[in-house]
Parts: sequence; C-alpha cells; structure tokens
Amino acid sequence: MRIPAVLLLLLAALAAAAASAPLVAPLGAGDVPALLEPPAHGQRIVMVWALDCVYCEPNMRALAALQGAHPGAVELVTVATDHIAERARISARLAAAGMQAYRAYAYADAAPDRLDFLIDPDWGGETPRTLVIRADGSRLALSGRLTAQQLERVAPAGP
Amino acid sequence: MLRLLALLLLVLPPLLAAHEGEHPSAAPATALGASAAFDGDGRLWLADVVDGRVRLRQSGDLGRHFGPATRVNAEAEDIDHAGENRPKLTFGPAGEIYVSWSQRRPKKWSSFVRFARSLDGGRHFSAPITVHRDRGEATHSFDALAVDGAGRPLIAWIDARDHLAAMQAGQAYAGLAIYYAWSDDRGASFQAERRLADHSCECCRLALVRDPSGAVRALFRAVSGSDVRDHAYALLPTDGSAAQASRATFSGWQVAACPEQGPGLAFGAGGVAHAVWYEASEGPAIWYGQLDPGHAPRHMLKLGTAGARHADVASSGRRVWVAWNQLSADGYTLMLRSSGDGGISFGAPRTLARASVAASTPQLLVHEGQAYVAWNTAAGFQLLPAERAP
Repeated sequence: MRIPAVLLLLLAALAAAAASAPLVAPLGAGDVPALLEPPAHGQRIVMVWALDCVYCEPNMRALAALQGAHPGAVELVTVATDHIAERARISARLAAAGMQAYRAYAYADAAPDRLDFLIDPDWGGETPRTLVIRADGSRLALSGRLTAQQLERVAPAGP
Repeated sequence: MLRLLALLLLVLPPLLAAHEGEHPSAAPATALGASAAFDGDGRLWLADVVDGRVRLRQSGDLGRHFGPATRVNAEAEDIDHAGENRPKLTFGPAGEIYVSWSQRRPKKWSSFVRFARSLDGGRHFSAPITVHRDRGEATHSFDALAVDGAGRPLIAWIDARDHLAAMQAGQAYAGLAIYYAWSDDRGASFQAERRLADHSCECCRLALVRDPSGAVRALFRAVSGSDVRDHAYALLPTDGSAAQASRATFSGWQVAACPEQGPGLAFGAGGVAHAVWYEASEGPAIWYGQLDPGHAPRHMLKLGTAGARHADVASSGRRVWVAWNQLSADGYTLMLRSSGDGGISFGAPRTLARASVAASTPQLLVHEGQAYVAWNTAAGFQLLPAERAP
C-alpha cells in the first residue's frame, strides 16, 4: 500500500502535535477515591483549575517547576472543573502552559459541584485549589496562586 | 489507509484547537445558566440557552407549564451560560422585554456583552447589538441588567480593557474593571460605556438592583490591597457625575483565585440593602448582612460553611428570604431561610428541593409579596414557593 506524501507529512505534523497536546481523561465521582489515595511514596499534588481562571496557569507552571525539582518525590496531576465536553479548550490550555507531561482530568460527573465536595469538602470551589496528598496520609489544601512561602510548604520535606 | 484516515479524523479537531486558539465546544449538559422573572401581569418568564440561542418562554401557572419558545437571537452565538454566567431578563415599564448575555469570542477570555429587546410582548426581538463601543478582544462578561426608576435599561459588566492597557504599558493592574451603559431609547441603542470601578474580581457575577429612589446600584467582588477579595458597592450615575465605589464587606479574604461566586442584593423596608456573599478567610462561608458602606455590614449571619454555595436574597417590606445550594456527597440541596423582622433574625434553614444532577445558582423572585426560588437543574426547571402553602 502506498501512502500519499501529503498524508505522510500530515501524520508527521500530527505526531509532533500529539506530543504537545495532552490527553485529558474524564473524572467522575467513582474516580475520586483513587485520585485522593495516598501515593506509595513521596506526594501527589492535585491542582484543580478552570478555563476561566486567570491565576491557574501561573500556578501550574510553578507546580511543574516544583515537580521538576523533585521528580522522584512529587507526582503532579491536574483536574479541570470544566466539563469534559470542553476537552479541546482544556487540552489546548494545558499544552500552552507546558503541562504535557502530567496526568490530566476534566470533570465528567452529572453533578459537577458534587465532585468539588468529594475532592475537598472544605473548599468553596475557588480555583486554583492545590491539594497535597502525602504517602503518610497527611494532606494540605490551599486556595489561590501559591506564594513563594506557600510553595515551600507544598514542596516535599526530603531531597 | 482507512484506519489512518479514521485516526486523523479522531485526533484532528482537538489538535487544531490547540494550534489555532480556542474553538467553541458543544455546550456541556451541566451549563444551566437561566433567568426567571415575573412581568407586570404576573406571568413568569424564563430565559435559557439552547444551541447558541437565548430561548424565552412564559408560564401562566407559576412554572408548571410553559408556552411555545421564542428565539431571542436568530443567529447562533457562543453564549456563556456556565457557572455564574446566564442570560439576563427584565421588563420595562411599558412591557418592553430586555435580554442580555455574554458572548464568548475565539480569543482566550475574550467576550462581548450582547443585548436584544422586544416591544411586542416577546413575539419579535430586535437584532442583537453589542452594548459597548470598545471592540477590543478582551473580557466584557458577567453582564447584569436592571431598569431604573425612569424606565431606562442599564447594563454593567466585568471589563478587561484597563488591565490590558496597563499590561501593555508595563504596569500592574489588580483584577479587571466594572463598566456600565444605559439606554435612553428603550434599548434601541446604548450610551457610550463608563467605568464604574477599577479592580473588580474577574469571574464573579455582579448584583445590579434598582434601589427605592429609582437609582441602580451594584454590589460586586473587588480586589483591593494585596489580593483582598471583599465586595464593593456603588451607585451607577446617569447624570454625568463620577462613580464612587465603597468597600462593603470586610472579611479580609486574601487570595489570588477565581471564586466564581458573586454576591446577591435586595432592598427592603426603609431602603435597607440586604446582601449575601461568599468568602473563605476562615474556611468557606456564605454570609447575610445589611450593607453599611465603608463599614462592616450590620446583622451579619453565617448562613452556611462547607458545601454551601451560590446564595441569593430577596425582600418585600420587612420580609427577607435567603436561598443557597448546599452540597453533599449525594448532590445538591436547595436551602432557604426567611425573616419577618427585616433581617434582624432568621428562622431555621429549610430544605426546598434536592437534585442529584447538575443544578444552577438559585434565583429568588418576589411576586405580590410572595417569594419563589427559581432553580434550573439538568432534570428541569422548578419554581418553588419559599413559604409552605397555608
């Protein structure tokens, strides 16, 4: 079978684009326990964000830098509170923020605010919301773009 | 080959979106922004969004049945009706129907405020107009609509132009701004917009209400100092005088975040400004209070904490009602409290309805001294009387 050159070119472009556009998985109520389960070691940082939120992308970049500084100790996951039907916008925004490397979800529950409550009942829905879930079961939750001082609290204790 | 083509068709749309900017998506089933209002004859009207059009329907039996729908905008638009954004609906003194909405634009965070009117009881609507003269591709969103004592429609919205201008000049500008405009010709056109206030929060709805003197006042989340997100209160001048916003809540909640929860405002006996708002300075909380600009509100009452969201308030004489959504692991509960003494004390919270599917912000309406809560859920629209039947 011969593949037309134009299609090959298109495929090459697609492969490059695919590397830069993160896949976004749906998050339903049944997926929340696994998201919040303490990791085997180190800590998981779950950053909840929204397309409308102007403070979210700087926060993502800061957390990605923190993860890069502690690659073995920090797992970074993003969750968009926008419905998964907005996947194209969500994926584009994550790509623009350089978040290709991180697991990404978007809300896909019939009752979206219920997901807010299941993720963190002591949260009014403001974004960004940064949750730190440590292997020892302890947690930290912070609203807003993290200050330098807050980033220190979020960073893992060890090297 | 066919497999390759099929793969291409599957992956191409999101990738194109990633490269060209932000294409509109199909509206998710959880976008439920709608507005209900009673007209002068006691008929209930409901504006919601279907397939890029504002749909208007009316009911003669308090929302149990609705008549045929009118499309306000013939041409589909990307109408923002998620979160606290919803089409707005109000009436003029001669039966005019005024409708406004926020239209999302392809550029990130860009939106225009749109408006249409009907002078024949909703049979026909004017071609939609963009309310603001500014055509910069920037946020003009969270429109709010009210009619003043002279019968003029006023629209206020959150506007990014000053933020962008400051950024281009290399200067900092906290939050966005509030702009407003009014019409002197029953909505055929709007006066050039004016700035109401600098430094508003970016994504919280405004409350825009006519006060007992006939002037229109706004309550909105502001950004002051270092990311303190309390509320400001301002009269919308229509006589050329300068607008003056006053700080109205004093929680000191300091956060660089988008709460996406704006305040509610209603005037009661003696011109008391009843307000509800959200803040999380010591954990999430929704509050009731009576505005005393420049000072902390009077008779403050914490209505709810964890899981309490999106409150609204209404008043008639000395009666005051507050409603909000209470979240739990099961979904939404619509809660209500009422006061018979002008908001000095409130009865115990009562459950009005529950939903296990998406529910929008409750909207309190008053008709002939009785309060109703308009609640749009993915299972359908409900109008719930605030008081039990006698």
